[in-house]
Amino acid sequence: MDPRYDIPRRAAGGGGGGSANSSPALGAQSRRRKMPPRPADFKLQIIIIGSRGVGKTSLMERFTDDTFCEACKSTVGVDFKIKTVELRGKKIRLQICLTVTHRGKGRDYLAGSTVTLHCQERFNSITSAYYRGAKGIVLVYDITKQETFEDLPKWMKMIDKYASEEAELLLVGNKLDCETDRIISRQQGERFASRISGMRFCEASAKDNFNVDEIFLKLVDDILSKVRLNVPEIHFTQCIHCLVHFGSL
Amino acid sequence: MAAEDLPSEFDVVILGTGLAESVVAAACSRVGQRVLHVDRRSYYAANWASFTFNALLTWIQEIQAESLSEEVQDRSSLVEEGEELIYLSGSDSASISNLQVFCYVSEEAEEEEEPANTTEEEEAGAAGEGAAKEPSETESAGSKEEEAGEAAEGDEQAAQEQGEEPEADQPQPSAPPSQSEPTRKKISYTQLVKEGRRFNIDLVSKLMYSRGSLVDLLIKSNVSRYAEFKNVTRILTYRHGSVEQVPCSRADVFASRQLSVVEKRKLMRFLTSCVEETEEHQAYNGRPYLEFLREQQLGDNLQHFLLHSIAMVTEDTLTEVGLASTRHFLRCLGRYGNTPFLFPVYGLGEIPQCFCRMSAVFGGIYCLRHSVSCLIVDKDSNRCKAVIDSRGQRISCSHFVVEDGFVGADRKVATPTRLLSRAVLITDASVLPGDSEQQVSLVTVPPTDGRPAVNMVELSPSTMTCIPGTYLVHLTCQSVGSAYEDLSPVVTRMFCTAECQDQENRPAVLWCLYFNMADGSGVEPEGHDLPSNVYVCSGPDGALGHEHAIKQAESIFLKILPEEEFCPPAPNPEDIIYDGENTSPTSIGEEEEEEGLTAAGGEGEEKQQEQQEEETSLQPEE
Repeated sequence: MDPRYDIPRRAAGGGGGGSANSSPALGAQSRRRKMPPRPADFKLQIIIIGSRGVGKTSLMERFTDDTFCEACKSTVGVDFKIKTVELRGKKIRLQICLTVTHRGKGRDYLAGSTVTLHCQERFNSITSAYYRGAKGIVLVYDITKQETFEDLPKWMKMIDKYASEEAELLLVGNKLDCETDRIISRQQGERFASRISGMRFCEASAKDNFNVDEIFLKLVDDILSKVRLNVPEIHFTQCIHCLVHFGSL
Repeated sequence: MAAEDLPSEFDVVILGTGLAESVVAAACSRVGQRVLHVDRRSYYAANWASFTFNALLTWIQEIQAESLSEEVQDRSSLVEEGEELIYLSGSDSASISNLQVFCYVSEEAEEEEEPANTTEEEEAGAAGEGAAKEPSETESAGSKEEEAGEAAEGDEQAAQEQGEEPEADQPQPSAPPSQSEPTRKKISYTQLVKEGRRFNIDLVSKLMYSRGSLVDLLIKSNVSRYAEFKNVTRILTYRHGSVEQVPCSRADVFASRQLSVVEKRKLMRFLTSCVEETEEHQAYNGRPYLEFLREQQLGDNLQHFLLHSIAMVTEDTLTEVGLASTRHFLRCLGRYGNTPFLFPVYGLGEIPQCFCRMSAVFGGIYCLRHSVSCLIVDKDSNRCKAVIDSRGQRISCSHFVVEDGFVGADRKVATPTRLLSRAVLITDASVLPGDSEQQVSLVTVPPTDGRPAVNMVELSPSTMTCIPGTYLVHLTCQSVGSAYEDLSPVVTRMFCTAECQDQENRPAVLWCLYFNMADGSGVEPEGHDLPSNVYVCSGPDGALGHEHAIKQAESIFLKILPEEEFCPPAPNPEDIIYDGENTSPTSIGEEEEEEGLTAAGGEGEEKQQEQQEEETSLQPEE
């Protein structure tokens, strides 16, 4: 008996981004209560950070949904996605979080760094809570945009301040499909990563689906190799959401 | 990089990122309102914030330095015909006062050879004059910095420092920690600073009632997905000079070694009878709860537990209030664990941030280091139609929500300010060592000698609020005097500080901070002289739960949007379809079910579920 299924799941309310939130509200009856076949062995949280327009959402969507939408408007109400992978014989549930971005707030925005994207990251106001619990951090820049590379130290500062010391770091130079417009060389990226202990580096293209799965799986692999399997690293904590039904109703 | 202009129009503008304001932001964004949420400070959560050790030192420094009155810029050029300005206060520095810091760990005085010249003087000063020493604005931060040299005894040293931050900022020499002196604690100040980022020290000390309005709201809105929570594992009380465990669940009662069999039966019977209101209870309405308890003939032991640790009321509290409080406690037992309470991992400062995130996810715009200088009011309607931000930009809005501290004194009803006394201690052991070192405990210290009751929360490193080998202890009470005056007697009774080194078996205080904070429940927002579409949120109150702030947020939301639902559940991201043509929802049967889980290990959950089902809370006897 899981009352969480009883919560009518409406699409994001009114106004907002105005994008395709047309899922009807679902009542309890239409829910099929189905428990997952085998619970995940590990649940890991991964966050993706980086300057605007570098392709964070695209990388995530390519990995979780295998989609790429050039003209897509970010749906209001999405701030993370789940994907389960099998690695080292274990089932791992990844929660991939994004900093919140919004496009198309009633104005005609273009993709790219000149646009006014309004979000927590835009005004340098990301909560410290965002970094909590992240076991993996993907730091993304755009190989065709100098300033996204120059912003990297700023992101490293946030990571140093708020992220766990054990978090695995991965630097990704995105938009490899735009080789002809490349401004940041591969060596530059490698050099930046080499200066930070434990940070891996690679280049990828969400558009062409090049290297995307590999980078996430490599990241998870690195995280797992650190986890001592007999001592659960992730502490025994409550989830008040799922335990709702264990108290009396 | 030139600062970018904000859009010039919003539905709701909110100044201050405290809990009530953040809940309002989330609720408004959630139903499609365009929200601008700003805070003058560089961090979220205002007076509800939590800090790393280093950030706390900076905060202390900022508070002590805040004597500069901000120049009020003249914004009359932005006012049009038929409008007038209301200026807001530049800062809310008045909300924190009587800040005092005591450091009892040795510095790493590797180059320093000098003996403890000032130590004894300082100790006497700390004990006697501490109360009188209020860091006034004229005292510049960090001017005095007494270094504790190596004392001959090699035991604890005290260095009274107001504003230790210069120490923190200086590069620490890489000499190994001095183990030469046989001190009980091995943690040095340097280590505290070095690992300071692993502390999360809350300005507010509260707990979450498992069936309180905050937990209910977190679940309802799905904001709970942004945080993790730990059970408070023990309820303790301080009595007859020692710390005792309070049996509150059936399992506790049965297992308790302090209660006789007769007492156990009496307690169980009493608690069972409390659950429903009876005529017998009503007969005591208007009379003190203590009287009611006495006439139940439970004995002193049980009376103490029931009054101070379960109902958590005073001796003159009325029976109906005491019983209601007892019932709330009992109802909350067993929902998640053996006590009625939860505590968020990483500290309470996470909670406002979680609501801010929800607001951002639904379109709210966030700017820290940004403020609102004044309101533009339409003379005819007496409604606020726009604000002017700290950069001089005019932003129109339909509603304005503001933290109480920013409302100018001229607009407020003059009520005597009530204060809360707070203390934060870093200690090296638990007040009641047990089998596990990862206990999270609530300790109720009953009122004595005219001093108010003190609530103490002891956090273990498992809450991610302190480093291994330490505990983070928070004390709160209604203020009678300064925080030091109100709380140091409790601290010296229960812990080992430089002032009283006799009892070696008590935990030692490594570092502590005292301060007073304005009591949010003393604020009467209705009385303010402000336009009808300006809503004021008070700061933190002194109660253990969050009812006050949540109720206030809900009330403000309903004034702004009476037709809308307050924080309906946010949809599961997987249920939202990107593609406009496809209107069928994602199948729930997918194996990657979003379970809203933030803990790991399927097996762990299963075990947890079984434990819950065993159900240790009190049930009416058949």
